[in-house]
Amino acid sequence: MDWGAVAAGLLTLAIYSFLYRDNPVYKFAESLLIGLSIGYALVTFWQTAILDKLVYPLFSHGQLLLIVPLLLGLMMFSRFSRRLGWLSRIPLALMIGAGAGSAIPAMLYERTLRQVSNSIQPLVTAGGQFNFSGLVVLVGLLSTLAYFYFSREHKGFLGSFAKIGTYFMMIFFGATFGYTVMSRMSTLIGRVDFLLTDFLHYLK
Amino acid sequence: MNNQKIRWTIFASLFAVIVVSYIITLKWRIPTSPSVQKSYDLIESLPPSSMVIVSFDHEASSLPEIQPISYIILRHLFSRNQRVIGMSLFAEGTAIGYQTLNKLAAEYGKKYGEDYVFLGFKPQHISAILGMGESIRQVFPQDYLGNYLAEIPLMSGVENYRQIAAVISLADGDRTVQWIEYTGKKHGLTILGGFTAAMITTYDPYLSSGQLYSAVGGIVGAAEYEGILGLPGKANRALLSQTAAHIFIVLLVIAGNIAYFKRRKGGK
Repeated sequence: MDWGAVAAGLLTLAIYSFLYRDNPVYKFAESLLIGLSIGYALVTFWQTAILDKLVYPLFSHGQLLLIVPLLLGLMMFSRFSRRLGWLSRIPLALMIGAGAGSAIPAMLYERTLRQVSNSIQPLVTAGGQFNFSGLVVLVGLLSTLAYFYFSREHKGFLGSFAKIGTYFMMIFFGATFGYTVMSRMSTLIGRVDFLLTDFLHYLK
Repeated sequence: MNNQKIRWTIFASLFAVIVVSYIITLKWRIPTSPSVQKSYDLIESLPPSSMVIVSFDHEASSLPEIQPISYIILRHLFSRNQRVIGMSLFAEGTAIGYQTLNKLAAEYGKKYGEDYVFLGFKPQHISAILGMGESIRQVFPQDYLGNYLAEIPLMSGVENYRQIAAVISLADGDRTVQWIEYTGKKHGLTILGGFTAAMITTYDPYLSSGQLYSAVGGIVGAAEYEGILGLPGKANRALLSQTAAHIFIVLLVIAGNIAYFKRRKGGK
């Protein structure tokens, strides 16, 4: 007997028992899930970050340069002291600086410039055909931006145009919500599959 | 019926609809979306023994949706004799990725270290993505099992992204966005995505701009891929349940609206 599958099956049923009402069996399964997830993440981070990237290279391979990140890491803990708390600003400044330095150019190009350039499409194609989807993108983009333009009161043309923007947003939210429902159904179907195949052996 | 009983009835009915429709086996032809076709065509067009990174960038909770996608894509890769470098940018994806790779590799008689390898997890995913562009060995000196990359035959000659034909990111969040942002312009990597359905609208702008080469989204995407490969699996089976559940929910929405308007009319 696969005891792992039995345990997983019983815990699945324990979690779904919440649909009836909150109960101790559900609470136990929920606490177990949270505890295991945190424990697993902690062990994985300890192994891959602290041991693999710091302890082994520094103490086994003598990579002395790693003393610098070790000290910077330890300085983070100075926040617990009122007297030495200012020391934590140094590694924080380094992290924010390095993070912003690598993120800003990449995000500006890929998330902003590339997206903007793709939003601006010719309304008439090279073959002389009318590009309807290009028009939809153009109206959708401008009207949604108009909705978030707060420097003028939303009256007259601006008000009507911003209203069109809300319809575009509603379509987006509706599609996203629909996909999310689909995603949650898939998760439920996945558990049903597990219960019927691995747990109950009803299906192969 | 009070609200509590209505809720229980809905839950029980939905569960029954899904179970019954899952047990029924139907053979049906699923039309292929352009994005799934593009993913298939890309893997078909890669020369044999191309290096492909498969990154398991998801948590255990999204396994029911991601697993059919990862299974069918890995089956395609292994059947085309591509070499797979597995890794994870999510701690929870590590064990899942390793198990999935071993299971699928065994199906096709692939050997660890020669046909595929699993590098494991690296925290600080942006540093990992950027670092691998300089040197994969700097980021992952050892694989998941503790073998040095220099001693793994598959990794000989693999220095950085220049030797990688494509990256397949299996994600339930925005990790694929980071693959796009930090490797797109600098390294020009071809990135394929395998996503949960909830993330499809997030990635649509990247798909239409071409920053993301193609995507396989949710159970439907996996079922389409299974259809092209001619290997109907769990996604194909789940699709009937998915459809039945959606129809049931639509009927509930209609019934709810009718009840609401009736009550409002009666109140007036």
